[in-house]
Amino acid sequence: MKLLCIDSEAVYREIVTLCAESEGLEVKSAGSVEQALALFENWRPDIVCLDYLLQGGNGLDLVKQFKILSGTRYVPMIFLTSHASDSVMDLCFKAGADDFLPKPFHELLFSVRLKKHIEHVQLINELYEKNTTLTYYQTINEREHEMAHQVLGHILQRNDQNSDTVAITHISAASFNGDLALIKTRADGAKLIFVGDFTGHGLSASIGALPLAQTFFDAADECLDLESLTKRINRILNSILPDYMFCAAYVLLLEPNKRLSYWGGGMPNAYIRKQTGSMTHLSSQHMPLGVLPNQVFESNLESIPLSDGDSLVIVSDGVLELKAEDGVMLGQQATEALIGEHYQQGNNISTAQQGFQQALANYSINAVQDDDITIFSLRA
Amino acid sequence: MSVSVQANESQKTLTLHIMGSFDFSLFNEFRGAYSDYAGKYETYFVDMSQVEYLDSAALGMLLSMRNAVGEQSKIELIGANSFIKDILMISRFDKLFGIK
Repeated sequence: MKLLCIDSEAVYREIVTLCAESEGLEVKSAGSVEQALALFENWRPDIVCLDYLLQGGNGLDLVKQFKILSGTRYVPMIFLTSHASDSVMDLCFKAGADDFLPKPFHELLFSVRLKKHIEHVQLINELYEKNTTLTYYQTINEREHEMAHQVLGHILQRNDQNSDTVAITHISAASFNGDLALIKTRADGAKLIFVGDFTGHGLSASIGALPLAQTFFDAADECLDLESLTKRINRILNSILPDYMFCAAYVLLLEPNKRLSYWGGGMPNAYIRKQTGSMTHLSSQHMPLGVLPNQVFESNLESIPLSDGDSLVIVSDGVLELKAEDGVMLGQQATEALIGEHYQQGNNISTAQQGFQQALANYSINAVQDDDITIFSLRA
Repeated sequence: MSVSVQANESQKTLTLHIMGSFDFSLFNEFRGAYSDYAGKYETYFVDMSQVEYLDSAALGMLLSMRNAVGEQSKIELIGANSFIKDILMISRFDKLFGIK
């Protein structure tokens, strides 16, 4: 670390030099303003020690120039002067001084203050480096999120569009949060549906999502039965994902006769709001996809008959974990009640969903959204 | 430290105590806590009585531990509060772990 000492008197230049060198600093000194400016620009000192009155100018103007020249760099300026009146001190600090020591020179005081300034400069330099590194990684992370978003977006073009009977909403700051909602009407009129939640975010979560979506849409084209599809997805995820990653999901098939069959693993309850106003729910019976090897994977399905006008609503755990201002989570019961209230038969499904979203926003008003949210709804 | 380790040689058990939020930030620390002891004990306890929150990354970390310690050893998840127990049960962790 380098210290620049500026004083018109040679004796002070020597004392300061000796003292600063014993603190491990490299020192250069200047007797005039002109010399000082040249050294500051070319030698780039880390700390400056200067007098109030100087040959060829004064310390106040010099400090102002140094502050401009140092830009974003933090270079502490220590005044060392025999003009130790309150008014001079005030002027010095207003000009940008970081410290003020009166002459005659007090060696112990100077050393102690110098140590503090050295620590301070080191700390700020470290912070600056860490900040640069962090910014670098943050930029990479953002690009990766964008990339995952773009690649997945391409595949999702095969999804059925939102319509009078289907509404999919993703509320998320991140571009891909691991939530995946797929729906495709098959040639036989049945609707194949996948709503899942991968561990992780961004590119790492999308690694499993890509082959999964491909398998899903191919299965819809082939009219593959639900059990075989579920096994196929499990096998793919189990083989490609590291052991700490998996996908909680519902895989469902709504047949034209309104029979809903489903497989659920690791997901919170999903709800059916009957047109009559009563509520029933689907629940996950299994471990998430990608955890168990296919020999022990259980692909058995559940089944439930729906009627015209019934609404199926599947929400990610981000909804249940929404926090109100007081930190209380929304939870299952309140979620069920809100769904019952908003998905009335008369409402168009997208209007219903907007109402539900608004209710969620009202609940978590001003609260930090800890997780990302996906809402899938389908009207039979 | 958010993860501490306690071995009981006579009982052949190893206990990992987790403190605070059990999430992705503990990934390396959690793995480091058991990896030197994988397969050396009959029962591994993961004490969650000090855990306030657990996310799906933590579930993944437990699955990874399940793989690492081997089929001969048991893993018991103990002390979970009802919120955490619900999360474990929704993902049917009772199939691979003891939950108490």
